Amino acid sequence: MSSAALGQALGDKLERYLSRQWGERVAVRELSRIPGGASRETYRFDAEVGGKVRGMILRRDPVVGLIDTDRQTEYLAYQSFHGVLPVPEPLLLETKDSELERPFFIMSRVDGGMVPSVMNLHPYGEQASAIGRELFTILGRIARCDPAELPIRTCVEAPSPADCWREALDGWQQVIERDERHPQPIVRAAIRRLRRNPPKPAQKISVVHGDYRSGNFLHDGRGHILAVLDWEMAHLGDAVEDLAWCFDPLWNHFDDSRVAGTISETEAIAIWERESGLHVDPSTLAWWKLFSAVKGCAIWTTSGKEFVAGGSDLVLGFAGTYSARRHDRIMADLLARLVEEGWS
Amino acid sequence: MTPTMTDLLNGCILSLATPPRPEDAGPFAVARFRLAAMINKLVALEYADAAAIRLWENDALRALIAEYGSRYGVQPDDGGPADRDYSLPALDASNARLRLWVIRLHEAVERAGDAALDRKILDLYREMARRRELHLPPFKPIT
Repeated sequence: MSSAALGQALGDKLERYLSRQWGERVAVRELSRIPGGASRETYRFDAEVGGKVRGMILRRDPVVGLIDTDRQTEYLAYQSFHGVLPVPEPLLLETKDSELERPFFIMSRVDGGMVPSVMNLHPYGEQASAIGRELFTILGRIARCDPAELPIRTCVEAPSPADCWREALDGWQQVIERDERHPQPIVRAAIRRLRRNPPKPAQKISVVHGDYRSGNFLHDGRGHILAVLDWEMAHLGDAVEDLAWCFDPLWNHFDDSRVAGTISETEAIAIWERESGLHVDPSTLAWWKLFSAVKGCAIWTTSGKEFVAGGSDLVLGFAGTYSARRHDRIMADLLARLVEEGWS
Repeated sequence: MTPTMTDLLNGCILSLATPPRPEDAGPFAVARFRLAAMINKLVALEYADAAAIRLWENDALRALIAEYGSRYGVQPDDGGPADRDYSLPALDASNARLRLWVIRLHEAVERAGDAALDRKILDLYREMARRRELHLPPFKPIT
């Protein structure tokens, strides 16, 4: 089958699927893949139904992905926060290998936004402060929500507040042990240190986005966040996990004075505390920061392994090399500093 | 281990040689070309001193084990012979063996509460990571 026929085939399959789901003829136009991470294939398209055109996004499981995530969790995370926070509306979910060959879901498209690369310098320009204030306001509101009242509760289990750190660390350590192709003494040392110096129990169980950072939200170029995206690692746990991940230097756009390339860490914490109703304990935040580097190491270890295993997905090759090396540096520096400050 | 230079270049060749599907044109194709360019830059950076960095790291790990290994019962049977084959696969294989020994040594040092040696090892880790980090320049957003 020619490449043109393949493209037509996906559009045709989408048309058949949507027509059946909605009970009327649907025309799919302008189907185009967009860069949207390596854990899902992401396509934009217009669906014309009854003379009306609606912008949509298709998120389909890849053949090989950066991380093994549950599309149902991602879908229910969108469902949990759509209408409450700037989050696209989830529309349809298929969890089996159905007519698009692999599991997928479809959501509404938010037009007119932009997403910077982590390699961009000063990506938010003069709007950096405004974006930062919204970024941490939204994150605080996610933390404030009661997961028991949200759809996501049906597919993820809540750890006890005292076990949030252990469950998170156990999970990512298993990934490293499963996918490691070369011994990594730095991350091994970090994991041992994290276990010997656990954080305080979570103040409450919250929804954790899991990948909340610069590069995972759409903004309008005028200081407003249009949509928080990429909920595929969403789970329940300690909300400080998201804060620490967002503060990771990997996402700071080469500017150590501002988190996520936006505002100072101090201001971000103040906004987050006000919106979440929670307090950020410095020692707990330090623990989750080192954990973030371990988690990054796990993700890049998997991406490197998958790339070498035969993929030509360059996102995996880049992340498995550049991000892996940067996170090793971040982790080694932070580990030494924490031991200097008294970690056993 | 991060993908080798050969892995990275082969991935670029495979990606660029594969005819794109119609739906892959546009922003996705632009991002793919940019990624291929950045990966080539990573390879250029790595190529410049890959062997020197591995030789340095292997020597540093070997010296650490030689000086402190016996104190903590961590002694390679072969004494961790010096590198003679300077090809990257051979240096990486040697590095893997030495890293395993250092992980064992570090665990023993932590159990013994030897703070001075612990910090020495952590400083070595910092230097290893510093030398292996690859510095890419930032670029302008795709518009």
